[in-house]
Amino acid sequence: MIGHGVKRGTAELAILSILGEGPLHGYEMARRIERQTKGSLRFTLASLYPLLYRMEQRGWIRGTWETSRNGRRRRCYRLTPAGKKKLSPLRQEWLELFGALRRLSKVADA
Amino acid sequence: MIAELATHLEEGYEKLRAQGISGEHAVKQTVEQVSDWNDLQRRIHFAKTRKDTMTNRVKQFWLPGLLTFTFSMGLLEVVQKFFPQPFILRLDHPPVLMFYLPWLLTLPLAGAIGAYLSKRAGASRRMTLFSSVFPVLPLAAVFLIAIPVGLVLSHTLSHGIVAAAFLTLGTAWVGVPGAILLAGGFLVQLLFSRRSPSRGVTTG
Repeated sequence: MIGHGVKRGTAELAILSILGEGPLHGYEMARRIERQTKGSLRFTLASLYPLLYRMEQRGWIRGTWETSRNGRRRRCYRLTPAGKKKLSPLRQEWLELFGALRRLSKVADA
Repeated sequence: MIAELATHLEEGYEKLRAQGISGEHAVKQTVEQVSDWNDLQRRIHFAKTRKDTMTNRVKQFWLPGLLTFTFSMGLLEVVQKFFPQPFILRLDHPPVLMFYLPWLLTLPLAGAIGAYLSKRAGASRRMTLFSSVFPVLPLAAVFLIAIPVGLVLSHTLSHGIVAAAFLTLGTAWVGVPGAILLAGGFLVQLLFSRRSPSRGVTTG
């Protein structure tokens, strides 16, 4: 079970990573993240959209209205160049953190 | 925004219905995603209207640069007050180079301060070095504009004299001080790279 504080820190990475695979609208974004993390990261409407709007305000993602094949209008988000630039170092930081924590837990177990 | 949230709720409801959940329960589960709609409205409004009061460029370049500029110009005032006689280097041909040596000796510190503040704010190597030479950047800009304008406008003096004057002034007030400021900046870069040999994760 991932604690609230850790989830908040990884939320931006999760959004940027999933959008790195291609543009998505909010609902599908939340579904994919939940599926790919096997339920560890779950976004409700209340947690997702403030985050998306904040990231849009920062210029990391951009939302545009599109009409799907079934005629439904959805706001689709995609990474901006600034968001793409943000993703790689953010990912690297988290990888380093996890690596450091893993080493720490090995030392603690020894 | 309302349309977007409504679409999300609709899709969530349809998914639950597709799983065989009754309409009533599907509505309940869908709506339960948000416990406090007023709070959500406030958070969305805040997220949409909030601007970072200070961008990275301000923290990493402008602030350290302006502080360095103020510090170095303040030192120049002090030096000119207490050591009014500059060091004059007479070349074979006029004009001459003029330096305030005590001021030049303080410039590594000024450059180091700018670089340190910039680095602390998370600046890249290039941004850090630009911050360290900030005091001479305005003068460099003036010379870059003034030289061509001066060459064009100077009818009474030969272009050679005008160019030589700008070259010596540029050397004395941009080139040499800039190099010394940069040296201070490089020193800070070196100290930072020695302190953290590998790119570690910082907290806080």
